[in-house]
Amino acid sequence: MDLKGIANKPMKKFFESERNRFFEPDAFFTQRVMAQSDAAKKTAHGQDFGFWDILPSSTRPVLALAVVLILCFVVVEIFIPQYPQRGMVESFLAPEQSPVESFLYTDIDVPSQDLLQQLIEPED
Amino acid sequence: MEFDRELIVRAQNGDRSAHEAIVNQYSAMVFRLVSRFFRNREDVEDIAQDVFLKLFARIDQVRPDENFPGWLARVTVNTCYDELRKTRRRKEALETYGPEIAGGQTTAPREPDSLGRARLALQRLDPKLRIPLVLKEVEEMSVEEIAKTMGLTQTNVKVRLFRARKKLQAMLGGPEGDSQ
Repeated sequence: MDLKGIANKPMKKFFESERNRFFEPDAFFTQRVMAQSDAAKKTAHGQDFGFWDILPSSTRPVLALAVVLILCFVVVEIFIPQYPQRGMVESFLAPEQSPVESFLYTDIDVPSQDLLQQLIEPED
Repeated sequence: MEFDRELIVRAQNGDRSAHEAIVNQYSAMVFRLVSRFFRNREDVEDIAQDVFLKLFARIDQVRPDENFPGWLARVTVNTCYDELRKTRRRKEALETYGPEIAGGQTTAPREPDSLGRARLALQRLDPKLRIPLVLKEVEEMSVEEIAKTMGLTQTNVKVRLFRARKKLQAMLGGPEGDSQ
């Protein structure tokens, strides 16, 4: 059975018209193909891969979590003062305190209650 | 089509100018073949580019004594087949899950003319049947050439051609379709 057998004129006409319908490459087609080929070669050699592209996708979340935890640790190390008894405000203001003020604020020898009472009581 | 064995060997050795020469020499043939299955210039160009990129990626598989244009035609037809199957799947998915177009239509769709109906019928054919039929009727290839290009046996090509014609006949209403 062929198209003559089918006696299908529209189909025959269609195929005849199709024979004359085709596109031709433009003047820059070769350049575009070569540019794409060069880009594909670079990608194949891993030159365009970043750190995350090299990693298998299954390990990415684990490594991302590890990086976040390391960053958190570094931030804590930088911003939280080393001395546990000193808060952030104290450590920030520390350079502005004179030695006298420093003695006043950080003196741990608290006077006895009697002495304090004497100091507080108005003088006669 | 004459081809230069030396050119293939140079291309296999990574010579960029040989790659460029292959594109220059064979792009018209690839365009012509892709145009048989796609009607949009952008589609044809994208697929032709894809064909050459595939060719360069597998250039080591080409034997210089082999019929290179035939090998390239085979890569081209296979690329078209993959693309037609993808397009067909996308179309089916759109028809199943896409928005309802007919409901919102206010005017009746224009009835296609006889050539339009022939084109639509051909587009509805499975790419497995459509490709050999187009190669036979439009490219005027022999059954043997189609078999080589598609990597099939000649019997298989004949069966596919028979089925394609039968389906087209059914879609266009057979000999009665002439009068429409």
